[in-house]
Amino acid sequence: MRKLTQGNEAVVRGALAAGADYFAGYPISPSTEVLNVASGWAAQHPEFRFLQAEDEIASANAIIGASLAGAKSFTATSGPGFSLMQEAIGYAQKVGVPCVFVNVQRVGPATGMPTMPGQGDLMQVKYGSTGDYSPIAFYPNGVEETFRLMVVAFNAAEESRSPVVLLSDTFVGHLNEVVDLDEVGLTVSVVPRTIAPLGRHEAGKPRFFAGVLMYEHGPDAGEPATADGDEYLRQFYETKHRHAEVAERYALYEHGWNLDAKVLVICYGIVSRVAAPLAAEYALFRPIRIHPMLADEIRAIADRYEQIVCIEANDGQYADMVELALRREVKRVPLLGGRISIEAVREGLARVMSGGPSEPPIPPTPADRAERSPLGIG
Amino acid sequence: MAELTTLESPGLDFKRRLKVDLFPTIWCPGCGIGTIMIQLAMVLEEMGLDESNTILVTGIGCTGRMGSYMKHESVYTLHGRTLPVAEAIKTVRPEMNVIVVSGDGDTASIGGNHLIHTVRRNARLTVLCNNNEIYGLTGGQTGPTTPTATKTLSSPGGNPNSPINLQGLIRSSSHAMYAKTTVYHQLHMRNVIREAIEHDGFSFVDITSQCIENNGRRIGFASANEMLTFYRKTYKRAPKGARQLAPFEIGVLYPDGHPSAGDGAAASTQKESTGTAAAGRAAPASAPVRERAPVSDEEKARRRAESQKRLALMSRLDPAVKLDVATGKISLADALRAAGIDPDAAP
Repeated sequence: MRKLTQGNEAVVRGALAAGADYFAGYPISPSTEVLNVASGWAAQHPEFRFLQAEDEIASANAIIGASLAGAKSFTATSGPGFSLMQEAIGYAQKVGVPCVFVNVQRVGPATGMPTMPGQGDLMQVKYGSTGDYSPIAFYPNGVEETFRLMVVAFNAAEESRSPVVLLSDTFVGHLNEVVDLDEVGLTVSVVPRTIAPLGRHEAGKPRFFAGVLMYEHGPDAGEPATADGDEYLRQFYETKHRHAEVAERYALYEHGWNLDAKVLVICYGIVSRVAAPLAAEYALFRPIRIHPMLADEIRAIADRYEQIVCIEANDGQYADMVELALRREVKRVPLLGGRISIEAVREGLARVMSGGPSEPPIPPTPADRAERSPLGIG
Repeated sequence: MAELTTLESPGLDFKRRLKVDLFPTIWCPGCGIGTIMIQLAMVLEEMGLDESNTILVTGIGCTGRMGSYMKHESVYTLHGRTLPVAEAIKTVRPEMNVIVVSGDGDTASIGGNHLIHTVRRNARLTVLCNNNEIYGLTGGQTGPTTPTATKTLSSPGGNPNSPINLQGLIRSSSHAMYAKTTVYHQLHMRNVIREAIEHDGFSFVDITSQCIENNGRRIGFASANEMLTFYRKTYKRAPKGARQLAPFEIGVLYPDGHPSAGDGAAASTQKESTGTAAAGRAAPASAPVRERAPVSDEEKARRRAESQKRLALMSRLDPAVKLDVATGKISLADALRAAGIDPDAAP
């Protein structure tokens, strides 16, 4: 049935379509609706387990435990909570635990601007945890796509045996669109569990899931390999190649050719919805798989255009990645402080296209607070 | 007499629970963790719990390595995160026994918040806390349970703070079981670990153990033996009916309303011999409504006998068939019939 559905609700619906049966979370705007909807579902369906944890650290670790025990598990949070989850995400990467983390971004750092939309957590997804790892992340720009990508995220998590991040933002999460998710759900394909749950191992070969480097095969299997660089290299590249192979299957992006245009505009998430009217003048490219970066795809497309502009609600995090991958200058239009609007986009584009700086003019400090508000409460 | 019982018990075959080919362990000579591991292995063996129904969750620190030496599926979690992981495993697979083994720093310091809330939610876990009053793996820094005035690497002038009250923290819940024991009192330890696993609710075993290398020597003990002798001389069994354990008392505290927490009637001969304190008075009339009825001692004995019988029958099956039974592909009765074993015949 076609129904007005919210982006955050679609997160849960998508997870359920992917076969999720465990959710742990902690309330944080603007992701709280995910927790609310999941708890409502759990109340009616006892086979779906729900935990409101004491903090995001616990919820991240709980979904890891649930996944090891055999459940498809996910959690949802926003920037500050996502920071707390980083250690657990690194652990899940190391141990090889399929699970899905949803980050409905707001303006940071720290508590920042609850709950204005932001896209400042791109690099946190890639580099947030300690050490080197190769995360996979997707970023939808609508309700139906949130649903579909949630299924994709679970599938990629199973195939790569690693945590996968679904990025969202305040606007995508709180977007209400009329969609028929039941019908969409019929079109998705679901990858079943890829790791045997705890206690269902090969006879006589109990596994030891450790965050510390361990020998996996051979006579020393089960012994720590904490001083063996060769073992590290073997395991690191095995994981990296596995992740790259899976990511290749989900090289998702959207691109509208505009052969008259000389400029390629890259934007993603809610910014791509806001900037949609630019399609008449510019060629638009929207990466859906954010990590690993779509370097080859962007290079093939960008070759046709003279200039590249990245419009994003952060200080050029994706632009940095594009610049590094293409070795070409990328102009930036940062939409900071939650100001995501077509006016801000046009203003920024006009500024950088005319050779101006990416930095917007800094608004003057209010001289007198009372002048701004008669009540003096700004 | 008690020792004699031990020798005859099936727990003696505990070595098959351990990966003896990985020995010697990484633990320092004189460390108390090995003792805890052996007692745990004995209890698992006695109770007929095996790798198909028992999962170990361990934390960072010396104690955390126990998982790698036991033939059980185990999760070696991040520092302090044993409880959320264990709780989720238990939620998803309620039929599994989930045993958490971690040190005092892991449980009470970095994982302290999780401890408070896991107790509050009454997760049906068994926590074995190797309480050596020090951060041993990093060389001997003050831990959450380090007694006041103890000199450590990070408190050369003596620990200025008082140790955390684990007993009070666990007992703040109306359904959690708290037990205190030491590495010296091995039989007592074994019995309380067993009672903790049998307890239907959150159970916490606080095991005082010696870290001779990074704590004991610094505070004046010459050897691990001296520390054990100290435990022998100072730790006493709590008086019968105690509702709280005084410092240097060992015993078990059940929640009010639990059959074993009554007027001592539930204190079986086994408990008599092991010094378990039957805590508290009879349940008040307004006892809080419990989710599940507490398990009586008779019921525990029946379950124990059943699991031992099942184990004996399972041991006669082919390993491949055994896995099929463990994974629920075929029932035990069918497997026995196929193998031509009479399930009612004495093992």
